[in-house]
Amino acid sequence: MPPLDKRIKKFLKNSIRVAPKISDKGELAELRAGLVSQYPQTRKDAIKKTIQQMTLNKDVSTLFPDILKNMATNDIEQKKLVYLYVMNYAETHPELCILAVNTFVTDAQDPNPLIRCMAIRTMSMIRVDKILEYIETPLRRTLQDDNPYVRKTAVICVAKLFQLNKDLCIELGVLEDLQSALDDSNPMVVANATASLSEINDMDPNVIDLKTLIQSHVSQFLMALNECTEWARITILGALSEYSAKDSLEAQDIIDRVTAHLQHVNPAVVLATIKVIIKNLPEVEISANGLTMKKLSSALVSLMSSPSEMQYVALKNIRIILEKYPEILSKELRIFYIKFNDPLYVKVEKIDILVRLVDPTNLKQCALLLTEMKEYSMEFEPEFVSRAIQGLAQLGIKYSDERFVQKILDTLLELVERDQDSIKDDCCISMCNLLRHSPSNEKLAEQVCSLLNSWSEPDAILRTDSAKCNYVWLMGQYPQFFPSLQAKMDIFVKLFKQEESLTQMSILITVVKLHSKLPGTMLQHVLELATQETNELDVRDMAMMYWRCLSMDNSEQLVNDLCKTIPPQIENTLDKFSPELLEKLLLELGTISSIYFKPQSDRRRRTITYQNIVKGKHIDELQDLAKNEIESKGNNDVLLDFDDDDDNGEGDDDDDIEMNSTSNGNSHLADLDDLFDFGTAPTTSEINNGVSNLNIRSDSSNTQSQNNPKLSSNTQDLLELF
Amino acid sequence: MGNFFSSMFDRLWGVNKELRILILGLDGAGKTTILYRLQIGEVVTTKPTIGFNVETLTYKNLKLNVWDLGGQTSIRPYWRCYYADTAAVIFVVDSTDKDRMGTASKELHLMLQEEELQDAALLVFANKQDQPGALSASEVSKELNLVELKDRSWSIVASSAIKGEGISEGLDWLIDVIKDEQL
Ligand SMILES: Nc1nc2c(ncn2[C@@H]2O[C@H](COP(=O)(O)OP(=O)(O)O)[C@@H](O)[C@H]2O)c(=O)[nH]1
Ligand SMILES: [Mg+2]
Repeated sequence: MPPLDKRIKKFLKNSIRVAPKISDKGELAELRAGLVSQYPQTRKDAIKKTIQQMTLNKDVSTLFPDILKNMATNDIEQKKLVYLYVMNYAETHPELCILAVNTFVTDAQDPNPLIRCMAIRTMSMIRVDKILEYIETPLRRTLQDDNPYVRKTAVICVAKLFQLNKDLCIELGVLEDLQSALDDSNPMVVANATASLSEINDMDPNVIDLKTLIQSHVSQFLMALNECTEWARITILGALSEYSAKDSLEAQDIIDRVTAHLQHVNPAVVLATIKVIIKNLPEVEISANGLTMKKLSSALVSLMSSPSEMQYVALKNIRIILEKYPEILSKELRIFYIKFNDPLYVKVEKIDILVRLVDPTNLKQCALLLTEMKEYSMEFEPEFVSRAIQGLAQLGIKYSDERFVQKILDTLLELVERDQDSIKDDCCISMCNLLRHSPSNEKLAEQVCSLLNSWSEPDAILRTDSAKCNYVWLMGQYPQFFPSLQAKMDIFVKLFKQEESLTQMSILITVVKLHSKLPGTMLQHVLELATQETNELDVRDMAMMYWRCLSMDNSEQLVNDLCKTIPPQIENTLDKFSPELLEKLLLELGTISSIYFKPQSDRRRRTITYQNIVKGKHIDELQDLAKNEIESKGNNDVLLDFDDDDDNGEGDDDDDIEMNSTSNGNSHLADLDDLFDFGTAPTTSEINNGVSNLNIRSDSSNTQSQNNPKLSSNTQDLLELF
Repeated sequence: MGNFFSSMFDRLWGVNKELRILILGLDGAGKTTILYRLQIGEVVTTKPTIGFNVETLTYKNLKLNVWDLGGQTSIRPYWRCYYADTAAVIFVVDSTDKDRMGTASKELHLMLQEEELQDAALLVFANKQDQPGALSASEVSKELNLVELKDRSWSIVASSAIKGEGISEGLDWLIDVIKDEQL
């Protein structure tokens, strides 16, 4: 028995009733002591403080082993916090994660469904291979759980497992469970199983027959649709849109059953519904189409009262839909008129839709739009104005009537006369387009040319290659309206070398075309420039050809034949998708493909870089590495809140070194990886490890950039948990 | 005198403070079975513990924080993470597992060398006494070289976690020692 005084002292020390408080500073040493305190309340406080530091993006990964000790608890709040931490830092301590396995497995059988969910979700999302070895029982159990909330989480975990370890996932046979989850009585489970299966199918199209599964579960999908959350609805609608109805009756039935969702507040649901309807529309009787079209139309219109970002997405999708059903919104032109507070990206898209939408047989509508566009073209945002000017020409060409074209041209001429150089390029191009649409209308040409001829230095006024190219072309086409033709050509020829390819080409062609009107030396000069002084192969080849032609016997005749052809009339300046592209895009409405107008099949498959799984190292391996590390670096790491008495890194003996490798985890681990990759002669097992290390590091070339995605995944997890 | 202090202590003792006790030993020795025998008084079906179990139980007015750590070779290196502030170690031996007595002994002595465990009391359970051919407590004690232990309160108790024999005797001894020495 110890002496009395010692016992009294100890007694006094221990009889402090209040659990020690953790200060707000969040020093690592203090947190660590708190995490292993003998007072439960202190431990919990320390956990809270640690999570707080974590969300502030401070590196608290070295506390991993001590946090883990608090994982097995009946306090749900504490458990959630520990799980949050584990999700975030598991990869920095892959070998220590094994200590959590027992708790994971126990928690996956907890009476509380929330805890069962948390356990299985965490097990399948931390990318540590050792953990996956133990996932079988919990995963199987939760897939068959009584509670639908647990089942709906478990089905998603199958996809995660598949991503991390495909072979294991197949071997465990959980893919079969996943497929039978499509028959689950709970709509949320059906929806998540669908999402999970689609994701697996994206990763490897050969393991499940998604098409057939969808075909055989259409009735389940339609049932589930009305009862699940909006996001699950999108998944299910996505699956439905891949189904081809057997006959017009079934197609009509599907349309009828999804139509209600056109009125959903979530634009993504609306777009997914539109996709299903458009897929089935061609199958149904034309007579039934009218009503559906009206509903589609009003759904699209309602999207235009969503926030700007959503409007942008909607406009892109409308662009696709319009190409298939040009009449669908023809009565709704006004909806797309620009509002003064629309952001630029919406304004530009709206103009595109407006000129596509306007009905070329409806003069009143076209005239209204003309007035509207004229106003746009006098705004101040250059991109917007530029787009509006192009739009004017597109409108003119679309309506096509001579008087209308004249009106448009008048507007453009007015604009050019304004003292604003930035719009002259667009005006020049637009006017040329209009002239090419009405090639026989000399009056128009004369108006345009006389104005453009008045520019003494066109090359300085115009900025873009295509505008200059158009200007030069115009001189070649209507030389009779350019009194100062030769002087203007002189300017362009002088600057030939500085011009870009389109303008160079245009100069060459025009000079050849007008060779009888221009001095012979100019022709000679341009031919020389174009064959010797340009890097543009096309220009050079063209010049060679002309040169050959000109030096042939009947050159005059030949050159005339070449140059005097009448250019084809421009009928339409609106670009179109190819029919195949259009069909593909219609099936991908509401996805990212609809924004880029590039279907998934055309895009290069994104490589999944985060697939790599973190392998733990053997403890002796770690010891060696840590020893090297300490020898080479000494102890001058400046860790965040590095605390000397706690992380005593002087590597005097093996024990210290080993502790070091686990407690200073994060930064050391990264350094260890460095050593590992380059320092040792690789044996086969090391190569594997090295490769995974390289991958990890290429994921995050520096710690800074590593932190950001982590942070965001953090908030995501937070959202999921609470 | 000791009794007086303990009883006074019992009254004053901060209700929230917990004593940390570790249950260690090779895999399959019966650690998890003992933990739950202590906590719920029943035999549970166990699986190999990959990681740890921890339970808080009240014994003789003391709050105990009892840790059962996995005994697999792969997990033993991590025992050390749990040594700090440990009041006592319960080392469980499968008395029928003669082949691994040497390994058990080695792990035990290795562990007791740790600085952090210098003040910890040691209780050894010579477990599975209900099995035929089980070594007796004194035989186990010899195999484990317990006499060599210096400056440490230790005891070995024959037990059967399945039958519930010896467990509370062992724990009674341990609690007395802890109260005497450490509080
Ligand atoms: N016969 C007998 N079996 C026991 C006794 N204690 C534990 N076991 C069995 O030994 C096996 C391993 O027990 P467990 O508690 O999991 O060992 P641990 O690995 O040390 O946690 C289980 O099948 C137990 O039922 C005992 O006292 N007698
Ligand atoms: Mg066990």
